[in-house]
Order: sequence, then C-alpha cells, then structure tokens
Amino acid sequence: MFRNLSILIFVVTVGGVFLNWIAAPCKGCRWNPIKKVVHLFTLLLFEQKLSLVGAIKKLIYLVALFCFVVLVVTGFYPLLVKGEHISGYLMMIHATFAPIFILCLTFLAVAWASSHRFNKSDCPWLRNILRRVTSLKIPVSESIEPSSQLFEKTGFWLIVFLALPLILSIIVSMFSIFGTAGQEFLLAAHRWNALVFAVVAIIHTYLVIRVQLKR
Amino acid sequence: MDACIEQRIDSSLKKGFIVALAFLLTSSTLTAAGESVGKLLGDESDGSRATPLHLIPLFAEDENGEKGEQIEPDVGFPMPFSTRFTCGDCHSYKIISEGWHFNYIDPNVIPGRPGEPWIYFDSKLGIQISLSYRPWLGTFRPDDIGLSVFQFTKIFGRHMPGGGPGEVESDDIDDVGRQFVSGKLEINCLACHNAHYGQDMGGDGGYAVQVTRENFRWAATASCEFADVTGSAAKMLETYDPFMPDPDERDAPRVTYRKEAFNENDEVLFQIIREVPDERCYYCHSDLYYCRAEETEKWKSDEDVHLAAGLKCVDCHRNGIDHNIIRGYEQEAGLSQNPLAATSSCEGCHLAKGEGEPQAGRLGAPVPTHPGIPPIHFDKLSCTACHSGPWPVSETVLTKTSRAHRLGTPNVNKAEEALPHIVSPVFAKQSGIGVAYMGRLLVLVMEGGKISPYKVMWPAYWGTLENDRVIPIEVGIVEKVVGDVFADLEFPATGDWPEITKVNIAEALKALGDKAVYVAGGVMYKLDDSGELAEKVGHLAAAPYMWPIAHNVRPAAQSLGVRRCEDCHSTDAPFFFGEVAVDSPVAFERPSKKKMVEFQDINPFYAWVFAFSFVFRPWLKVIALACSAVLAGVLLLYALKALGCVARFLAEQE
Repeated sequence: MFRNLSILIFVVTVGGVFLNWIAAPCKGCRWNPIKKVVHLFTLLLFEQKLSLVGAIKKLIYLVALFCFVVLVVTGFYPLLVKGEHISGYLMMIHATFAPIFILCLTFLAVAWASSHRFNKSDCPWLRNILRRVTSLKIPVSESIEPSSQLFEKTGFWLIVFLALPLILSIIVSMFSIFGTAGQEFLLAAHRWNALVFAVVAIIHTYLVIRVQLKR
Repeated sequence: MDACIEQRIDSSLKKGFIVALAFLLTSSTLTAAGESVGKLLGDESDGSRATPLHLIPLFAEDENGEKGEQIEPDVGFPMPFSTRFTCGDCHSYKIISEGWHFNYIDPNVIPGRPGEPWIYFDSKLGIQISLSYRPWLGTFRPDDIGLSVFQFTKIFGRHMPGGGPGEVESDDIDDVGRQFVSGKLEINCLACHNAHYGQDMGGDGGYAVQVTRENFRWAATASCEFADVTGSAAKMLETYDPFMPDPDERDAPRVTYRKEAFNENDEVLFQIIREVPDERCYYCHSDLYYCRAEETEKWKSDEDVHLAAGLKCVDCHRNGIDHNIIRGYEQEAGLSQNPLAATSSCEGCHLAKGEGEPQAGRLGAPVPTHPGIPPIHFDKLSCTACHSGPWPVSETVLTKTSRAHRLGTPNVNKAEEALPHIVSPVFAKQSGIGVAYMGRLLVLVMEGGKISPYKVMWPAYWGTLENDRVIPIEVGIVEKVVGDVFADLEFPATGDWPEITKVNIAEALKALGDKAVYVAGGVMYKLDDSGELAEKVGHLAAAPYMWPIAHNVRPAAQSLGVRRCEDCHSTDAPFFFGEVAVDSPVAFERPSKKKMVEFQDINPFYAWVFAFSFVFRPWLKVIALACSAVLAGVLLLYALKALGCVARFLAEQE
C-alpha cells in the first residue's frame, strides 16, 4: 500500500507544482525561464547578503537541499522502483547524508525561525473574522488576500515539526528499547513521516523559489 | 450425423466420467476400509498418555524370511529375535520403514534441506568424501565410489538405526552369500525406544560392534539388555547356514539370552517408551567442537538450552507411527506430510501467530522481543545464525560428530586431528532445498537464502573428468593404484593427513590414467598436456559440502548481537571476517583459509565498509539526538511565544 500511495502522492505533488507553475506563473519569469533557472542554480536564489551569516545560511540551505535530494532518492528509489526495502550501498549513503541533513536543518531552524514567525499581515481574513466575532478593536485590513509568505512559513514550521518524529523514529530504533513489533512500528513511522516530510519540503522549496523569483 | 456422433462422444465421456468416479469412490472406500482393517494394535493410540506395557514374546525370522518360532531361551542355539516379527506384531513395520530415519534408500523421497552426510575417508589414499543415498547436492551415492549396500551397511551401520540399505538385497554378486550369512540389518526399534540403561549401542559387544562383525541379524538382539552375542558372521564362510548352526563352530554368531528375563510363557518385559530419551538420540547426534580444549569434556560444557529447560529432543522432533519425524527447518512445512511440521520449527513455537487458536509459547517457549534488532535481520538470517552452535571465534574449529568420527563406539581415535576433518561454525548463505526428486532430477528451490551456521567438509577424492564433470573413481581401484604410490608416505598416529606432495599427486594421476583428477582443499588437480601438475580453483566438484548447525541452541543471553551490533558489524567480527580453514591433504596447500564473507554471497568490500560504518554510528546517534533537542527547543520556544500572543489577545492588550 505504501508503495502505491507514495507513487500517487509524489505524482500529485510534482504535477500540482508543475500545474501551479503553468497556471500562475511568477512575474518576470514567464518569458525567460532558462535565465531564472540559471539564476537559481548559481547561488542567486536568495537576495544576496554580503554578510558572513547570510552567506553561511545560503550555503547551508543548499547543502541541506542537496542532502534532501540524496535522502529522498536513496530512501524511496528501492521501495518505489524495485519494491524492496533500502539496503546495501544505498543504505550506507542514506545513513551518511542523514546526519549532515539533520545538522543543516537544525541550523536553518534556528536561523530562520524568527523570520518565519506569523505576523498580522499573513492572515488578513483571520483578522477580519476575529474583529467581527470578538468585537475587539482590531484594525480593518485593507486587503483580504493572504500574504505571499503564509504558505512558505507554514511549510517551514511543518518541516521543523515533522523532522522530529522523522529523526527520532529511526534513532530510537537503534537503541535496545523496542522489540520487533516496536521496530516495525518505528520503521513504518519513519517511512510515512518521510513521505509527508518530502511532500512538504518539495512544496516549501517551490514556494521559496517563487517568492525569491518575485523579488 | 455429426450431431449424433457428438452426442455419442458426449454420452460416452459422461459414462466414462461416471465409471471413473465410481471406480475412484470404490477404490478410496476400499482403501479406507483396508487401512482401517489393516491397523495393528500399536499403530493407533487409544488416547492414553500412559506408557503401554511391553511384556511380549520374541520371534525370530526363519530361513524364508517369514515369521519363525517363538524364542525359548533354553534352546541350545537360539536365534536372535527379529524386530520385524516381534515388534511388527503390533506396529506396522512397513509403515515405520518409510520413516525419515529409514527411507533414504528410496529415490522418491523428497530430500529436503541438506543434512549430515556419511563421510568415507582413508588418509592413506587422501580420500574424504561425503556420501548419501539422498540426492543432496555435493554428496555422492555410495555406489559412485564402489560401495555396495552391504559394504555401506558394514561401514556405517554402527550409527544407523537399521533398515534402509541394511534390508536391501545387494546387486553385487560377491555380497549375496555374505548377506545370507549376516542377514538383514532390520530396524532396531530398541536403538531409540528402549529406555533401559542396559541398551548397548556402542559397547564392546553392542550394536556397533555387531554391525562391524557383519552380525546384522544379531545386532538388535545384542543391543538389548538381556542378550549377549558372540562370534562373527564375517569370519564365516559364505556356505555357512545360520539357520542350521554348527555348535562346534567357535566363530559362528551365537546368542545367549539371560533366562531370568523370560517369564513362564517365554515373554520378556521391554522398557519401551514412546518418547525417545535424549541419550538415545545422542548416540548418533553428538557434536564435539574443539573451541577450547577444556570444552571437549562434556561435564564442562552445557547442553542445548531446550534440554536444560526440561524439554526432550522428541518434544520438537515429533512423529507418529509413520516415523516421519520433524527435522525442524523453516521450509519443512511445505514438504513434509507431518501435520506438526509448521508448528515445530523455531518460529513455530516461539513466534507462531496463526489465525485460529494462538500457537505461540508452546511447551513454555518464551516469545522473543529482540529489542534493538532491526527486522531486516529476520529476512537475512535464520534463527540459528544468532542462537545456535559454538560462539564464532576468529577461525573455524575442528569438529567431530558421532556419525563421522564414530563417537561412542569402542577404540575411537580421540585426537583432535583425526579424520574426517569437519570445520565449523561457518556462516554461509543457505543453498537450495530439495523439494522433489524424480529419478536423477533433483528439483531445488531457494527459500529465502538466509545465512545460517554450517559444518563444512572439504572433499578430497580421485576422479575422472568427463565433460567438465568429475566422476569419483571407485575406492577399490584407487586403493590398488594410489595405495602403491603413497606407500612410502608417513601417516601420523593422530589420524591426520599425511604430507602429500605435488610429486605424489602427479605420480598417482599418471597411474590412474589420462582423465584422472584429484580434488582436494577446494582445488582440482590434473595433469596438463605436458604432464605437469595443473591446478584449477573454483570447480564445482571441489566445493565444500555444508550442512546446517541446528544445535546446541544457546540461551538468549548468549546470542549473537545481544551485547551490541559490533558482535557482527565490526571489521574483525568473526561472523563476516572469521577465517574458514580450507582442509587439504596436500601439504603445500596448508594452511589455506577463506573469509567467512566468501560463503555469504556478499561483496567482501561492501561487508567491510558496512562494518566500518558502525564506527560512526554513535556519532550519528549523538548528532541526531542533540539536533532533535534543538529542534524541539525551537518549536517549544516559538509555540510559547505564540501562546503569549494568544494570551495578550485574550487579555485585550492587543
């Protein structure tokens, strides 16, 4: 079941991203997508910050992105393509890149948490509802359109939140705590978490790209 | 017209079907009736768990092979009793003779998982070869090396419970007369079922010695507690008639029954029990691992944990009257007719889930939790890999078995180096399981191919190479030809191999002929066109024969991996990187070794890298746990901040 569902979810996610890109293209990149892609892969994904911290953040994000790709490929390829569980060299590559990814993710969580806090402008419709329901003195929003960063922020917090069970499910299984049934549960938990995490990460990356390209 | 023909065909087909159906029904009814009528008193239990009394008369076999007179101990020259006609009065001998311990001569029997072979060895000829009537890959049929059923029985019958080849009439004209004198080696029911302490299998006058003396007819009688057998059929001429014995013939086999064992009706009380005592199994199924010298003494080592817990061998290795005993391997349920095969394996007792009644925990078996063991281990390893046999050390150890080294019989060579050379434990990937045998076609399946512990014997024999297939040369021929060539060699008193040189091999091969080859230590030697000795490594004929180690099962606290993953996953762990001794009589090949991983169908480099990666596993754990703590901290911090916002909002401060 997991195999079929994973294939379906990945197809829907990637297809959705592609359709969104086609249906709602970002301004400026419609007629020159190649330029934008080159822009993306030459570390110009983000607004250039000349500070050391900015450069480190950018570098770590790219390393994390690379590790994520490696982990997804090594983790899902044997299962989705060959119908087997991960083993052999793929397992070793997976386990080698996992701690690097965890470190990068932790650094980014700390570094970006503050800038990804939800603020008043993220959800104007929520403010309007609250104003009507509670009769409090909440200023009226001029726009009811959500902020362009809302989904990106949501994605970020989801990633941070999902990372915990994703990491712990596999690390805990390495200790002599859980028996075979527990091990199987942890493995299943890791697998399902990884699927949700991968989908959220793909969407988040797409949104980051869109936001940055808009800028 | 056509329609008429079609109707006739249709009608005749229907009639045929009805006739066939009627025939089948009739025959099955008759068969069922026959079975019901044919059952003897002891073939079917009445449900009582009490041990039936066996106060019974003894019957001998007459000269026509039929049931003879009841034995009277007072008669001057009494015959040995026949189990076929004594035990067979109440238990269907024919059905029993088709049981696992006796049916190996039958080519239609499914061979199943390869088991321990009979090993024919002769250090003076450089021979050590695995034999079996079962078509296990890597074994040869005894007749392939020129052993008739009679010779085979004489050599190996010491550790056979009778039956099988012991009851087959030899095709060899030389054996016919000898078989008449020695009689048949009938199934010795007492070998397993006699609980009396006087049951003598390996004593000076016991079963094994009688077989060696060709006293096949007398062997079962000699083994029981109330009879003594003297003399030797081997010393008698082929014209000797055991049914008309000459009292003056001193070497003739003669039975003396202890009269006090008989009652007034000339009946004797056997201490027969249904559940075979472990000691009886041990006679043929003992192992001796030279792990540490002191452990060769049995009082210093432990038995199988199941026996220590109070179980008996036959609690798991069960059978009914058909003696189709459960061997206990994982795939047996699909091959065996024994209805308990599925629930009597390791998993059957310890892990059985089933859909009906719960089966786990039978006989008090603890249900294992295997904490910290990733489930992939259960796909890759058999239960015995972690739980059975001696704890693996850096190199395999020499191993003796009852049947290979005739343990428990008189004058056994107790030297560690005594032939045949078996090494263990070797952790190897399971080879195919024989699921069917039709004539000479063995059908194999690979069931999982799990890694299990094995005993290994490297074959050494002389053969001829035909179409890249090595056919062993009969021992009689080898003895005549190679015996002369090796006559000057020194043979160690320990029973070890002599120092065979390249020159010796070359000379022997020249003497044996053009196509002659010598297989030893995983190498095939042959003479090239220039007459020089050439070696070929990796020929299938030189592959070692392996059979699984099932016992002794160690306690869970002594299983592999119980301490840490590095029990197996380290760069020097014996499980992967232990050295397997490659035994060879060829002096210049010694000592030769292989790595355990070469038997596991795993790339050695991969195994090493994987093992090496475990050095970093603690780091991975530390990093992952530390990062998880930080991530949790970030989530908590901002969750609290969000809560603060909500609180301020509800306090109408914002």
